[in-house]
Amino acid sequence: MEASKRTITVNVCLYGSLARFGNGRYVAQLDIELDLGAGKTDLLTHLGIPQSERGYLFINAVLCDVPGLNTGANELLNDGDHVGIFSTDRLFPFQYRDGLPMSEGLRTALKAHGAMHHSYQ
Amino acid sequence: MAKKILRINMTNLKAAYEDVPEKWSRWAGRGLTSAIVCDEVDPMCHPLGPNNKLVIAPGWVTGSPAAPSSGRTSFGGKSPLTGGIKESNAGGLSGQMIAKLGLAAIIVEGTPAKGKWYTLIVSNDGVEFQDAADLMGKGMYEVDDLLWKKYPKTAVIGIGQAGEMKLSNAGISVNDPENKPGRYAGRGGMGAVMGARGVKAMIVVDKGGPGVEIANQDLFKQGRKKLTESIQEHGLTKKGGGLNAFGTAVLVNILNEAGGLPTRNFSAGQFEGAAKISGEAIAEVCEKRGGEGMMGHGCHPGCIIKCSNIYPDETGEAVVSCIEYETTWAMGANCGIDKLDFIAQMTRECNDIGLDTIEAGNTVAMAMEGGLLEFGDAEGALKTFDEIRKGTPLGRILGQGVEATAKAFGVNRVPTVKGQSMPAYEPRAVKGIGVTYATSPMGADHTAGYTIAPEIAGVSGKLDPLSNEGKAELSLTFQAATAFIDSTGYCLFIAFPILDIAKGWEGMAESVAGVTGLAITGADVVPLGKEILKMERLFNEKAGFTAEDDRPPEFMREESLPPHNVKWTITDEQLDSVFAWVHNGHKD
Repeated sequence: MEASKRTITVNVCLYGSLARFGNGRYVAQLDIELDLGAGKTDLLTHLGIPQSERGYLFINAVLCDVPGLNTGANELLNDGDHVGIFSTDRLFPFQYRDGLPMSEGLRTALKAHGAMHHSYQ
Repeated sequence: MAKKILRINMTNLKAAYEDVPEKWSRWAGRGLTSAIVCDEVDPMCHPLGPNNKLVIAPGWVTGSPAAPSSGRTSFGGKSPLTGGIKESNAGGLSGQMIAKLGLAAIIVEGTPAKGKWYTLIVSNDGVEFQDAADLMGKGMYEVDDLLWKKYPKTAVIGIGQAGEMKLSNAGISVNDPENKPGRYAGRGGMGAVMGARGVKAMIVVDKGGPGVEIANQDLFKQGRKKLTESIQEHGLTKKGGGLNAFGTAVLVNILNEAGGLPTRNFSAGQFEGAAKISGEAIAEVCEKRGGEGMMGHGCHPGCIIKCSNIYPDETGEAVVSCIEYETTWAMGANCGIDKLDFIAQMTRECNDIGLDTIEAGNTVAMAMEGGLLEFGDAEGALKTFDEIRKGTPLGRILGQGVEATAKAFGVNRVPTVKGQSMPAYEPRAVKGIGVTYATSPMGADHTAGYTIAPEIAGVSGKLDPLSNEGKAELSLTFQAATAFIDSTGYCLFIAFPILDIAKGWEGMAESVAGVTGLAITGADVVPLGKEILKMERLFNEKAGFTAEDDRPPEFMREESLPPHNVKWTITDEQLDSVFAWVHNGHKD
């Protein structure tokens, strides 16, 4: 029964060098089953992506992390969510992301960081 | 030896060298084309009439020995697409060769006798005017081939059939190191301005030229070293980095994930076929097909970023170079097309006919919105380029760009500002770029607002990314920095290492100061950029532009964009504040 479901399934796209964690060349798309209540960092741990290789990360088109910042915020994932994770060598100039919706965790981290950069490495 | 201005008069077919007047002596690239246009072109003139001019200028450091990724050439004039001032710049071979001839700029003015077309041979011996009858009606692939048979290893600046027809979406082609067209001063119809001067092609022969004089060798070498190291260290620009490995189309998936990839004529922010048209997909095709296909291709000698690609067909033979981010988006997501092979063919058509790929893709999308084709009809989209090449009535409408096509097909959802269509960043989702689209003197232009280190301009840390507050100030800072970089001759992609690595910023300024002898430091970047912007804004005002021209399209205020379901929310007052300083006396 749906009410007793103990897991969620999220659709994940891995880009660039991260595609190898999903058996892809440069892009890999896969469905991942996680425990109910799992979040962003749980997914990254499940996939085995080292912190040093984590770049931009989106959940349902909301920016949740940027290269080098690795907020550590464990945004909750829901059944049917889509997560896009990029390697650290992404071209994403500041002005092309200025104004994008972003998670509260990332917003807090960026305010604490101060300066605006292409990457935070 | 001081640089010269080469003035080419197409009315009497004479050319003359002039000293660079004091008022222009500190400018190069975009700064110089805009200064000359402001001084010599009547803002009210018809862009295709006898009083417009085509101004060509390499950047400050272009042509200097081993300045990294510095081969840009600026093309300026009054735009037939926007009706305002235009600077459009390209890579390829031309900038370095013009600079090595000791030229600060080439001004092409006047109009030849009706029906006469010329190929100009610009060399250290002067200018030769050759009848271009043998090149007329030919596309740029054939033109480049024919001209290199007579003038091998030269720069070829030319126009395809679109420029001959003086269509508002005609660009100016510059050949790449393999002598293929594809390095375009695409935006704003500058190919039509060249066509209106009766010039089909211009050959630049740098043999025997004096080269670029370096005022301070030590300072230049110091700056060059810092900038080169920064480019080679930065994750985006180093060998094997994002740009080198996947090209500019590395942006497709990221903008799509962000919900900011304009899809089907700006009706959604995500495209279900994005991954199939992305830089990653292009790289996979190149690997799989091999042959001439490659990533990491350089568009001009001395580029150390090498973000270009050569897209191969199934046999490995080159189809086109290069599929850029804007190109694969315009022909792909914005038309609902997810077939890379068709996108490559359409890109080749643009490069051959001489069209800006952004405006051309947006125009196909407009024709789809208007019912000429279905979204996703790749074969139908490809055939529209035959119409333009042949100059059929439909082709002449499509060749005029988005606004003309929208009128022809009765479409009211028109993603343009100042007559120029928007590039591949949805301004309802990416609000920061929307301010730049609306207020740039160039019309909707993604390169107009390229980023610099905001902390240098004193705006660091002030901005809440979800708020509209501060966006006007930030946009102005970015626009000013871009105007400066467009004047250096450096590729705009040095913006990444100069932002993130302190010595890169210093290196850029020091290399410019070393070549020119001007006392330019990093602190001068934004003020100098603002001077350029002020010239351009005042030209546009004299051409009849008002605050109403600094506005987004109406439908973006009224339609919510999925997946975020956001509308345009920046107020007119905020937009007007971007350039309020032009008249209130606050320059810095």
